[in-house]
Amino acid sequence: MLRSVLRVASLRVSSPSSAMAMKSGAIVGSRMIHYSMSNRTPGAQFQKLQPIRFYSAAASNLSKDDVLTRVKDVIKTFNKNTDAEKISLETAFNKDLGLDSLDTVELLVAVEEEFEIEIPDKIADDLKTVGETVEYILSNPESN
Amino acid sequence: MAAAPSKTQILSLYRQLIKNSKQFTNYNFREYFLRKSRLEFKQNMLQQDPVKVNELVSKANEELAVLKRQAIVSQLYTFDKTVVEPLDTHHKKH
Amino acid sequence: MLLRNSLVSNSLRATQVSLRSIYSSYNNTLSNRSYHVSMVNRAAAGAATANKQAIEIPDDIALETHTDVQAATKDQADQRSAASSDAEITDALTSGTTALNYAYRQDTGFGTRPIYMDMQATTPTDPRVLDTMLKFFTGLYGNPHSNTHSYGWETNNAIEDARKDIASLINADPREIIFTSGATESNNMVIKGIPRFYKKTKKHIITTRTEHKCVLEAARSMINEGFEVTFLNVDKDGLIDLNELEAAIRPDTCVVSVMAVNNEIGVIQPLKEIGELCKKHKVYFHTDCAQAYGKIKLDVNDMKIDLLSISSHKIYGPKGIGALYVRRRPRVRLEPLLSGGGQERGLRSGTLAPPLIAGFGEAARLLKQEFANDEAHINRLSKKLVDGLLSLEHTTLNGSALHRYPGCVNVSFAYVEGESLLMALRDIALSSGSACTSASLEPSYVLHSLGADDAMAHSSIRFGIGRFTTEEEIDYVIKAISERVKFLRELSPLWEMVQEGIDLDSIEWSGH
Repeated sequence: MLRSVLRVASLRVSSPSSAMAMKSGAIVGSRMIHYSMSNRTPGAQFQKLQPIRFYSAAASNLSKDDVLTRVKDVIKTFNKNTDAEKISLETAFNKDLGLDSLDTVELLVAVEEEFEIEIPDKIADDLKTVGETVEYILSNPESN
Repeated sequence: MAAAPSKTQILSLYRQLIKNSKQFTNYNFREYFLRKSRLEFKQNMLQQDPVKVNELVSKANEELAVLKRQAIVSQLYTFDKTVVEPLDTHHKKH
Repeated sequence: MLLRNSLVSNSLRATQVSLRSIYSSYNNTLSNRSYHVSMVNRAAAGAATANKQAIEIPDDIALETHTDVQAATKDQADQRSAASSDAEITDALTSGTTALNYAYRQDTGFGTRPIYMDMQATTPTDPRVLDTMLKFFTGLYGNPHSNTHSYGWETNNAIEDARKDIASLINADPREIIFTSGATESNNMVIKGIPRFYKKTKKHIITTRTEHKCVLEAARSMINEGFEVTFLNVDKDGLIDLNELEAAIRPDTCVVSVMAVNNEIGVIQPLKEIGELCKKHKVYFHTDCAQAYGKIKLDVNDMKIDLLSISSHKIYGPKGIGALYVRRRPRVRLEPLLSGGGQERGLRSGTLAPPLIAGFGEAARLLKQEFANDEAHINRLSKKLVDGLLSLEHTTLNGSALHRYPGCVNVSFAYVEGESLLMALRDIALSSGSACTSASLEPSYVLHSLGADDAMAHSSIRFGIGRFTTEEEIDYVIKAISERVKFLRELSPLWEMVQEGIDLDSIEWSGH
């Protein structure tokens, strides 16, 4: 596990000619800088990661239906009592699923794992519904 | 003493604790720290006293540091998964 | 993300360092070992190009160590990877008629390492304890008895902090804590040290039949030194009779030693009442709290305890360290086992081990911090396990149902042999009793003392629940035990007779 993390990370650092970098050149570069900056000043993380919004230009190539189905699965694994049939894009975490703010944090961590992305704190705090979450996943080119 | 931490900061701390607990390769430690984080945050959810909140947050920060280090140690020395652990939890998709 | 970056740069640095060392070893070996030259040469040449083109990180094998000491489960893992197709698995499932084929869960979607349910033998080291200990292996290596420099002061401070944490859990003064190598040494110190110190006037020791082996053996060795020992009986619940204890106390009795929580059946002795009795008759009261410390509420003043043995590795701390509480007021005197530099109030000479003690201290601190949550967790799981196991027919809980530590559950499965059940439970780490005696096939002396017959004593299994046990594991254990007890009973002729309604007591066994 650690080894694979290392490999992924080293790929980013070491081979600027990788396919990912080809696709979104400058952004990868700037992202690297943010990583190392946040490394030194963890508090500055949110501000520095703002350019992540650029990603909406290079959105992920997942289909919306697919993302919704997988988010539903995550919710179902997270809370076994949920009726998956009733989940739609309009479903609100708090109002409809009865999740408090802590549960929502945990659910979004599970979503991050499922799609292999990192949702910045500031964005995660604003995700209140299944629809918003799906939109964010679609907007993040790293999602897969 | 500094002002009480904001809700965003506390949620961010909680997120970090959950993420780092999940980094343990040892099933029992992973489950324990997840359980502990959940329980303690839920137990103190209604805590209003800023002094108490500050205390809890600084303690959780210390524990987060320990979790970060020990999650790495757990990744350095890995063992077979136990009989209650699914071998591949990730990506059965597509 | 922080972690990733730091690790990347670390491993980069590590790679460079190792390349450099290859170079230097190349130069060194060049002159006298021609055999190696060609190989090293190639490596060095490769290293040189790697250095020029910069950064091609090799697969860093040394960074992640998969521990290869799992022989017990390795066969099974191999078998599973071999039997990868569904057909083969079904085949293995249906063709197997021996108990061992039922020893594992057969679906290959899960890991192979057994569930750890032997918390009375030892507990896993808490990661927070390890975190405390690690710095004593890296930077804080001073001898705590060196008082001329800061290296010594650092470790000495750590030891005194640990002493405070350990003392506070039993409401003692830090100065009353003596570090030893473990509860076995602590128990020996008391059982041998007190009678030896008072040998001119006192000749008598009282203990119980269900004590840990180290107390029983130490007491037996004192018989050879001319002392008399009374071994108190226990009732069917495993508890001692206070009247019997009072009757046993003589004017020349020097110490009463009764364990707090039994290591095999988990029953809690009435410590407070025993303490009062001992105080009334002016006899020292020692209690072996290896299984009790930090798991049930203990107070040396309230319970009138004079000496108390503690073990670190039963409380998620490191192995190889323990402590003995020795009351200062009124002072309890005992002859030390070890002669030497007079550390630990002269009672236990030898340099203290700061990494172990700091870990032990942290483990004690955590016990106090987590007490309520741990207790609630263990109670809940224990109830679930007991209910689940006792719902099987002809199954009994050993020891008192009321006065017990819920983290130790000892259950007898009639008409099944404990050892064969254990063999059939290779996916759960369990024991039929104390780890020290489980090498022999002797039935447990503790269960014998409760009046259990050989068959019952043979068919008992001890389940240990701790801080790190999960509900998922308990569910697995209940299911596995139910299935395999049923399976083994099917094989048992005795079980067949019971099913036919034959009273086993009416049978006259021949031979033997």
